Amino acid sequence: MSTDLRTPRAEQRPPLWRNATFLKWAAQLLVLAGLVGLAVILGLQASGNLAAQGRTFGWGFLSRPAGIQIGEGIFTFPANGFQVLQTGAVNMLRITVSGIIAATVLGVVVGVSRLSANWLLNRIATVYIEIIRNIPLLVQIVFWFFVATLTFPNVTVDQEGAQWLIVSNKGVSIPWLFPTDTFWQWAVFAVGGLIAARSVYKQRVRRLEETGSDTYPGRYAFLTFVGFVIVGWFAHPIAGALGWVWQLLAAIVSTVPALGWQLLLAAVSVYLGIRWIRRFLDSLRSPAGLAKLTDDDWFRIGLAAALGLLGAFVFLFLPSITASLADLVEFVLRFFDQKFDFLRTGNPLRFARPDVVLPGRFPQIGTSGMTMTPAFFGVWIGVTLYTAAFIGEVVRGGVLAVPKGQTEAGLALGLRRSQLLRMIILPQAFRIILPPIGNQYLNLAKNTSLGIAVAYPEIVAVGFTLANQTGQAMQTFLIWIVFYLIISLGLSSVVNYYNRRLALVER
Amino acid sequence: MKKRFMITLSVLALVLAACGTEAEETTTTTAAPDATTETTAPEGGGDTGGQTGGDLLDTVLARGELNCGANETLPGFGSKDEAGNFVGFDVDLCRALAAALFGDADAVRYEALTAAARFEAVNSGLVDILSRNTTWTQSRDTELGLDFGPTTYYDGQQMMGRSSDGFSSGSALSEIDGAVVCTNAGTTTELNISEAANALGLSITLNTFEDFNIVTENFKSGACDVVTTDGSSLVSRKATDPDGGDWVIFPSVPISKEPLGPAWAQNNSRFGDVVTWTVFAMQIAEEQGVTSANVDDMLANPPNGEVARMLGGEGEVQSAMGIPADAFYQVILQVGNYAEVFDRHLTPLGLERGLNALFADGGLLYPMPIR
Repeated sequence: MSTDLRTPRAEQRPPLWRNATFLKWAAQLLVLAGLVGLAVILGLQASGNLAAQGRTFGWGFLSRPAGIQIGEGIFTFPANGFQVLQTGAVNMLRITVSGIIAATVLGVVVGVSRLSANWLLNRIATVYIEIIRNIPLLVQIVFWFFVATLTFPNVTVDQEGAQWLIVSNKGVSIPWLFPTDTFWQWAVFAVGGLIAARSVYKQRVRRLEETGSDTYPGRYAFLTFVGFVIVGWFAHPIAGALGWVWQLLAAIVSTVPALGWQLLLAAVSVYLGIRWIRRFLDSLRSPAGLAKLTDDDWFRIGLAAALGLLGAFVFLFLPSITASLADLVEFVLRFFDQKFDFLRTGNPLRFARPDVVLPGRFPQIGTSGMTMTPAFFGVWIGVTLYTAAFIGEVVRGGVLAVPKGQTEAGLALGLRRSQLLRMIILPQAFRIILPPIGNQYLNLAKNTSLGIAVAYPEIVAVGFTLANQTGQAMQTFLIWIVFYLIISLGLSSVVNYYNRRLALVER
Repeated sequence: MKKRFMITLSVLALVLAACGTEAEETTTTTAAPDATTETTAPEGGGDTGGQTGGDLLDTVLARGELNCGANETLPGFGSKDEAGNFVGFDVDLCRALAAALFGDADAVRYEALTAAARFEAVNSGLVDILSRNTTWTQSRDTELGLDFGPTTYYDGQQMMGRSSDGFSSGSALSEIDGAVVCTNAGTTTELNISEAANALGLSITLNTFEDFNIVTENFKSGACDVVTTDGSSLVSRKATDPDGGDWVIFPSVPISKEPLGPAWAQNNSRFGDVVTWTVFAMQIAEEQGVTSANVDDMLANPPNGEVARMLGGEGEVQSAMGIPADAFYQVILQVGNYAEVFDRHLTPLGLERGLNALFADGGLLYPMPIR
């Protein structure tokens, strides 16, 4: 009874103001109160200032017409403020995604080149990295923009018609394969092909391990995938039947009354909370019984319960949230329904060459072909080269961190240097370079905001214009913060997921 | 343990000392990275101009210096000379205001603002007065929380194209169909041109930049087919650029009204009165023939009551407004009347008085009586 020294008898317990447990909780609650108080004070200050200036804090500007025309994007004539921001966001994502892919490829090449025994390759990579890393990114972006607009030639009338490549100061245009309206039906076959390929791969690897004979799992898997893709090219009208599935789901979502969804979501929220708590308690259970719960454990249980109840409360008493969620789900389902149609025929991909058109007095680059405006060119090349320099250094560091014994052993086994790199060094280096590379991806995503200097209409640029025209600067800032937070958290959670999978399992 | 504590304490003291210094120089507020600092209340240096009760006029008078939001990229209206000083038609209004408030036309701190950043600069108190070729519109007057002074320059939006592309000063707006049009971001210009193009059924690609210098560079290289902004800016660019000979400004009737004038944060009427009457005083001085050369003679022997009152003589109202009695005398002496300012900055660019002449000369300037 009194052998457990951590729970002293009543007369042995220290007074409240010296009680470690109480002090810990009090300190945390005080800090929380302080933070909340600070936020409240700032909020009141801001609304007070706005009221003194005679301005209001509202979100109406998102649904009102903006009158702005945007140079490029999904809505060049946005109908309201929200579409303006949507266009900006999509433009930002275009650069982020294509920049990440290009920067990774270039970065790995540069990093490995810097380690190469070939003197010229080594020197070129070093010079590239040293120059690019030491010039501010804004300067580089403006430089590439000026290269695109000042040095590229004009679009001329005698180029009118289809071309193979257009390089001009109004943009760079290349031939491209565009998806048509049967693309998604074909994509279903491609996805099926991926799944089939994966199972074929696993099967052949298992046979390889059992029998030791060459079964070429990679090649077989690839051929399976290609087979599905080719079959899908001709058989995709059948996949159009999926359209009925989407329609059915959308009909279900729209006919169930809102209250039904609210109850369902509230129940799911509570159930998830309970399930998490039970699993957590189970993880602390051992054959000897439940372990003593520490403060930290209680806090986590409390948090899970609170979140579950909060979720239930939100869904039950704020019907607009459920309604918007249901609308969103229905929107997505109907979107997919549109893409599928039983027995819809036609090639899934369309090859198009760039062309020059003459809509008025001035030759312009037409809409067929994939066009990169000078602003996009400037920002994309700028961020790609800049981030690739940093990624190159990270890769180099990672490769150097692999113990030298691995290289020597590989060479002793008779592996070529390229095989050594591909099969032994890079897989081990990957674990080391992943966190810093995730960092560089986040930097790239945020660096796209420099596009405002070269009139690339990404979310900061269009938001700035919108704030200026409507006077709603604070709301625009909040939207930027939330948007960049979502992008950054999304990117870092993906990177963290791979990080955890690569973590060394300790005994 | 004690040594670490002392080191921490001294580092903290150094940091606090650094944060408290008032190092303020003329800063250029341009692209987004800088803009994020404007909307928060400025720290060290500037006040939060008149929002916490009391009129902006009291704050400015107490400070002894006027914070003026100006343009640094528009020759004629607001730009920097070789020595790095701000000069221009709009800049002279700030100088006149400083002369009226403090008797010293150089008691001004200039803040170069881009079109997109200018309104938040006024609302956050970074600048007291915005004299940056800003158009008076309904939404700016109400939604954006500004008040406007008398229009100092009546302008209109026009386009500029190359004569080698087939444009002439008689060209119509419909001739820009299919063109790539470039202009400033965050201005009435971009709203007007999209509306006008929509109305005529034209399809244009609109690229908007923060810096008009980049717009001009793109126009010269051919990346932009047509440029659009206020007619006065186009004339000033055409006059100062070596390639300007090939450029034509059209249509001859501007596609919109752009009344340019000073602006300040609303609910500061006493400050606004000072701005308004400074502008009127400069125009009345031209009406009555008072110039910086003869203002002393006029003060000694005023030809009529209005001149006497304006220069601080019997019946003057300046002291009741909160400024010195000789406020407008200082304005005319140190800066000049409206015609002198116009001739100093805008006539060399080839701009004629046109709508900006006094009503008696067929223009739109109609200053209110000083009585």
